[in-house]
Amino acid sequence: MIWIDSTLVSPGRNSIYGERIVAGHRVWDPYRSKFAALLMKERNIDLLPEMRVLYLGAAHGTTVSHVADYVDTVYAVEIAPRPMQALLRICQKKKNVVPIYADALLPASYAPLIETVDLLYQDVASPLQVRIALNNRCFLNRRGELILMLKTPCVDSKQLPRIVLDESLHDLERLYTIHKTCWLDPYHQGHAAIIGEPK
Amino acid sequence: MQRYWFGDFDGAGCQKAPTDVKKLAERLSILHPDLETFVPLQWEQAIQCGFVTTRSEYIEKIRSLCFFIAQSTISSFLQRKDEELVRMVRVLDEMDEVINHLLEPLIDWYNIYNPSFSRKMSRQSDRDCITKMRKTDNTSLYSCLDGVENIISLRSVLASDVNRQATVVLPNCCALVGGIVAARLLARAGGLERLAKMPSARIQVLGAENALFSHLQVGSPSPKHGIIFQHQRIHNAPRKVRGKVARVLAGRLSIAAKFDYQRGTLVADFVEDSQNRINRIGGFT
Repeated sequence: MIWIDSTLVSPGRNSIYGERIVAGHRVWDPYRSKFAALLMKERNIDLLPEMRVLYLGAAHGTTVSHVADYVDTVYAVEIAPRPMQALLRICQKKKNVVPIYADALLPASYAPLIETVDLLYQDVASPLQVRIALNNRCFLNRRGELILMLKTPCVDSKQLPRIVLDESLHDLERLYTIHKTCWLDPYHQGHAAIIGEPK
Repeated sequence: MQRYWFGDFDGAGCQKAPTDVKKLAERLSILHPDLETFVPLQWEQAIQCGFVTTRSEYIEKIRSLCFFIAQSTISSFLQRKDEELVRMVRVLDEMDEVINHLLEPLIDWYNIYNPSFSRKMSRQSDRDCITKMRKTDNTSLYSCLDGVENIISLRSVLASDVNRQATVVLPNCCALVGGIVAARLLARAGGLERLAKMPSARIQVLGAENALFSHLQVGSPSPKHGIIFQHQRIHNAPRKVRGKVARVLAGRLSIAAKFDYQRGTLVADFVEDSQNRINRIGGFT
């Protein structure tokens, strides 16, 4: 990853959604992007130029645009029409992003489009977040990596975040080996990053 | 056989798909592979297939297909009638906010010239209030009031449009609670399909999310009604039966929404039966 004076940036000369430019690089704000928050806390994660990424829950595409600065290709899946419009605008600028209008819970609808990927990144607001991660495992390379941003209030707003995390990990371990979990405080409340690889 | 967006693979080799985006999109929509036996594609297979010759060409083609699918699905979504109604309601709500935001400081301003003027005591409508204040000699205050009055008249035009549109989109819900309340429920639910799939308990507290979550998390009293409180039979009902009326009304609304979604026409028997029931429980005759 590229850091300029301890500010996380991604290579890109022009501002895409209004972010600041520092020394020819786009500033990647950890308060805005969960991926950036994770990178602030876990310095040993890296995005490599040959990587192919499946990004579930692309939303307006701000984080997608930064990931796309680092890697070869991003397959960005989003279901909501309005964020999708914004995502399409960003995809017009980033030529290595493939915008896929589909429900991440039903990978069969987009499976014929997607090649095997090195990173499965998931950031969706759904009570079925764990199921989505399990359903999409088939796209991940044997040596690929899963990064799941667990929004605990979406799974169960009554339960303590820590308990939701434990339950989710238990379910995920059916198909994934979990290496690490990391709370995204102080950047994002109630969000835990789960890092693992397919079993 | 493995079927991918650019062609079908079996033991013998590859059969290339048509290159036209529209045909590719149609083909993709019916593929739906069984994931148990599905093998994810390798992009090089598209070269074997003779579909593309380079990686950049591959990405370019898949992007043009995906853009086509996304754009056509978005435009058909935006043209739906319920979607337009949702947008209209959001503008209406925003106008109410703006009117309130502007009127408060304007009254404070007017108070400088007429300290005895107060709105709270006299309980007058926004419009009456403005008519009174317009007697001021201050020209800049006068024109500000003029502007707010314009927004108020815009608002009432929009409100009747919402009402009219709601009777088209939600005939049964409108018959039960009136156009504005029905439209607000629709807007909060985020569309007719979502409203139709909601359980009645959720419809009952739609719009009271803060109270609901504080009930779930810290155990404060549960909300009895959200947006449906704006309907006169709930806010006019005696306090004791208000929750009961809200529950029955929400139950009927959830059925009405299902009629609206599936049939789109008024179901007179159902509406009449529901009205009688709600009136009986609320003690209205």
